[in-house]
Amino acid sequence: MATITAPTSQKAAPPGILTHPATRKLLALAALAAVLVPLAVTQWGGATWPSALTVDVSEPLGKASDWIIDNRDSHPLFLYFFGHVSNVVVIAVRAVYLALLAVGWAGVSAIGALVAWRVAGVRLALGTAAAFLACGLLGMWVPTMQTLALMVVAVLASVVVGALLGLAAGLSDRMDRVLRPVLDTMQVLPAFAYLLPVVLVFGIGVPAAVLATVVYAAPPMARLTSLGLRGADKEVLEAVESLGTTARQRLLTARIPLARKELLLGVNQTIMMALSMAVIASVIGAGGLGDRVYQALASVDVGAALAAGIPIVLLAVVLDRVTGAAGERLGESGRSPVTWLYALVVAAAVALAGRLAGFLDWPDGWEVDIAEPVNRAVDWMTAHLYSGVPVVGGTADWAGHFTSWVLNPLRDGLQWLPWWSVLLIVAALAWLIGTWRTALTAVLAMAAIGVLGVWDPSLDTLSQVLAAVAVTLVVGFATGIAAARSDRFERLLRPVLDVFQTMPQFVYLIPVVALFGVGRAPAVAAAVVYALPAVVRITAQGLRQVDPAALESARSLGATSGQQLRQVQLPLARPALLLAVNQGVVLVLAVVIIGGLVGGGALGYQVVFGLAQGDLATGLVAGAAIVCLGLMLDRVTQPTERRAKKGA
Amino acid sequence: MSTTPKNTTTAAATDTVSERPPVFSVDGLWKVFGPKAARVPADPDLTALSPAELRSRTGCTAAVADVSFDVRKGEVFVVMGLSGSGKSTLVRCLTRLIEPTAGSIAIDGEDVRAMDKSRLRELRRHRAAMVFQHFGLLPHRTVLDNVAYGLEVQGLGRAERRERAAAIVAKVGLEGLEQRRPGQLSGGQRQRVGLARALAVDPEVLLFDEPFSALDPLIRRDMQEEVVRLHREEGRTMVFITHDLQEALKLGDRIALMRDGRVVQLGTPEEIVGSPADDYVREFVRDVPREQVLTVRTAMRPATSADEAGTGPAIRPEATVSEAIEAVARAGSAARVMDEGRCLGVVDASDLLSVVAGTADAPAAADGAAAAAAAGSRAAGAARVGDGGPPARAKPSVGEAPAQRRKPTTPAEPTTEEPA
Repeated sequence: MATITAPTSQKAAPPGILTHPATRKLLALAALAAVLVPLAVTQWGGATWPSALTVDVSEPLGKASDWIIDNRDSHPLFLYFFGHVSNVVVIAVRAVYLALLAVGWAGVSAIGALVAWRVAGVRLALGTAAAFLACGLLGMWVPTMQTLALMVVAVLASVVVGALLGLAAGLSDRMDRVLRPVLDTMQVLPAFAYLLPVVLVFGIGVPAAVLATVVYAAPPMARLTSLGLRGADKEVLEAVESLGTTARQRLLTARIPLARKELLLGVNQTIMMALSMAVIASVIGAGGLGDRVYQALASVDVGAALAAGIPIVLLAVVLDRVTGAAGERLGESGRSPVTWLYALVVAAAVALAGRLAGFLDWPDGWEVDIAEPVNRAVDWMTAHLYSGVPVVGGTADWAGHFTSWVLNPLRDGLQWLPWWSVLLIVAALAWLIGTWRTALTAVLAMAAIGVLGVWDPSLDTLSQVLAAVAVTLVVGFATGIAAARSDRFERLLRPVLDVFQTMPQFVYLIPVVALFGVGRAPAVAAAVVYALPAVVRITAQGLRQVDPAALESARSLGATSGQQLRQVQLPLARPALLLAVNQGVVLVLAVVIIGGLVGGGALGYQVVFGLAQGDLATGLVAGAAIVCLGLMLDRVTQPTERRAKKGA
Repeated sequence: MSTTPKNTTTAAATDTVSERPPVFSVDGLWKVFGPKAARVPADPDLTALSPAELRSRTGCTAAVADVSFDVRKGEVFVVMGLSGSGKSTLVRCLTRLIEPTAGSIAIDGEDVRAMDKSRLRELRRHRAAMVFQHFGLLPHRTVLDNVAYGLEVQGLGRAERRERAAAIVAKVGLEGLEQRRPGQLSGGQRQRVGLARALAVDPEVLLFDEPFSALDPLIRRDMQEEVVRLHREEGRTMVFITHDLQEALKLGDRIALMRDGRVVQLGTPEEIVGSPADDYVREFVRDVPREQVLTVRTAMRPATSADEAGTGPAIRPEATVSEAIEAVARAGSAARVMDEGRCLGVVDASDLLSVVAGTADAPAAADGAAAAAAAGSRAAGAARVGDGGPPARAKPSVGEAPAQRRKPTTPAEPTTEEPA
């Protein structure tokens, strides 16, 4: 055997290594580094980003923000444009809010249930009604209505804006080329990054919250609209054209109806994103449920946070299931306008009856105060589980150990690395996985962080992201593989993943604060929990979608199940695994940043600090750094196909 | 080559398909994909290149290269070729779903390439309707609304278009399924909807783009018979794209065989099978049961004696060889080929056997039509001009002479309103 294999491997190996694309990329990079690094070191040595290369933007930013604050009431731009926008938003949210209150809790619950019934069936109707009643029971009726009012306005605006942008991108190639990279990038940025620019223009308050929500929630609608318009069956469009349709007829009778699945999915996504953002936007004055959570977390009142958090989760699950079911039920016939009318009449009757019976405000006596028992439980946990549990140690001990054994060394290590070597590592990783284009973007984004003068806090955030991603991937891949191999396990896992994937990022902070207190470790824990479902799901799906013929042939050759996994499934699922890494990184970053609210420090804290102190310059710089970090992390993990192929 | 309509008086006087006016008249048509495509047809150096050479030299692909033919009123014109031969591109060029690069297309003498947008829409709405391989139905509409779609596009009112659609739905055998959606139908039923949609606008020409390729063999045969039936009933002009030789031979009055964007042979099924223009065509038709395609006209020889010309069973010149074999086998003697009481020739067992064995002479000996089929697309053009005309096929559809009922330039007179 050996004599046979040896010569072939000898013959094949040297050219194999040299001509392997990865080696060539690395060699090219090494050559580039050999020229540039000595130059950089002699010029600007040291580990941290050289101060000679930073540009102090805080002063001009501070001036700009001062100017805006001074001129907000007098400059024509604000008077005649932003002022109107702001007024319209305030009036709209106020109107919806008052309307919801006027209908009363009985009416809102009834209308919600009837809509869910018509759109999604009896079970979801009952669920919807139960969810609304639970919000009332928890004493959160008014905040829920505030959030709902803000959501209604933001979702409507997002859907309209997103659909229009998507229509433009779907119909015009040039528009698509312009919009696509922007939308793709917006998709990967953490929600926190959107807050500050909006605050800069509109100040803290409802208009800023709504607009931040729209900016965050419109891109998925735009992307899916464009996707739906472009993904339409070519032959159907050709057939429609062959019948002599005008462009308008094609759009109205074929392209838009053909894209309705994507359009509804877009609405669903937009609603979920809007809810997530509407809750986070409490930081900039959104009010409602998110504000309750925010205030409670600020004083580490877990019970109160939970009381506000549960309605958020219920709202998220109900909205997701109802809109999702609407998408799945498409094409089924039998939805007649008459039953809608009937439903409407019933809803109006219930609302009227509720009003007459005085069921407008949720009766105080029906509220259940869960804050206190929860806090007692948390106190008990703090006393008994935080530390000193024999053998396993307490949760606070774990957090402490994680911080001192993982996070600190990682952060210090990153900060100890010379700045140019960080750039080099970023370039190498991005180039190996993607193309030179993605590598260049990643390096430029990383360098921009240095130029902005937030190198050290960014590396702090990066260290948290890396630790969280490592944990997420290990746990996620293991769970994903298990789910792919065992049908029963997947069945058990699916509802859990469904619920976890619909929850807004913000609510993940509540349980981790209860368990681990505040600090960087809880932020990482929240990020892991938030990113896990997506990673598990993508991994399991990727493994299950491996060509059955390839698996069958491996089995027919007598491969053990371990061999099948290692030699067939994992290699063939490589694209899915890379996507899982990419998604994991993006999701982890989003929550690590929000972790600034619970002591995560670094960039997230700077944003919060900037908002709280009115020091917009600090916040904006941190926001820009978050954008750059998000861009860098996404590009480093983005397995792009060679674009050249498509262009030629 | 002219693109003007052929003399209509001759068409009225004699009623062979070959002398009817052309519906579509295609001349020197090119469709080149790639950068600066327009230079390819204009440059004689480039047009002479093989596809591979052209691609490496210019980066262009000629999907349709210098194709000329006429589709005559009432005939089923089949364009056949393997995938990538350019046949689907060709049929799309006819209504400019794909914009041709060079050459001319005329419908009833009107230049299609010169049409403006509204005129072109008019063409697509009323004069040429297409049936697609994957049906191209709108999934969100019912069968009835799919069939009525073409009428809706024309701006017809809801009640009228539904009424007309319902009649067509019945005609293609879809009664009772009007309220289904395409997703609830089988492949054959879906293609019936596609066919009905095309028929609903009562077009002058029906274009079929490999309509039955995606169907199971048995259903495919049903659908082919449906098309034969429709053609027999209405005599509508059809352009039929297929990669299936059996289908081409079964349906086609004439067949244009394409390879690499060029027409390598254009002729009746009998000519294609009986006298292949080159080795490619020969290879193509090798497995065809020749006795079912070739007629006794090609197999017969002159009678050697008065005795031979006076006795034996009589058969028509359009009869296939396999029919003649049956007749000869029954009678036990040579058969006479009789046309209007005149004896054209005789066939005996050995003549027929040599056809089956493929050792017979080319049918060129019979009537000289094979000259047209000799070589390439230039020859195809020659065939269009007409050289005595290929023999009319033994198909009842042709014999029914629908052209007498239909005026050449007005497609409006709806045969579809006749009860099916």
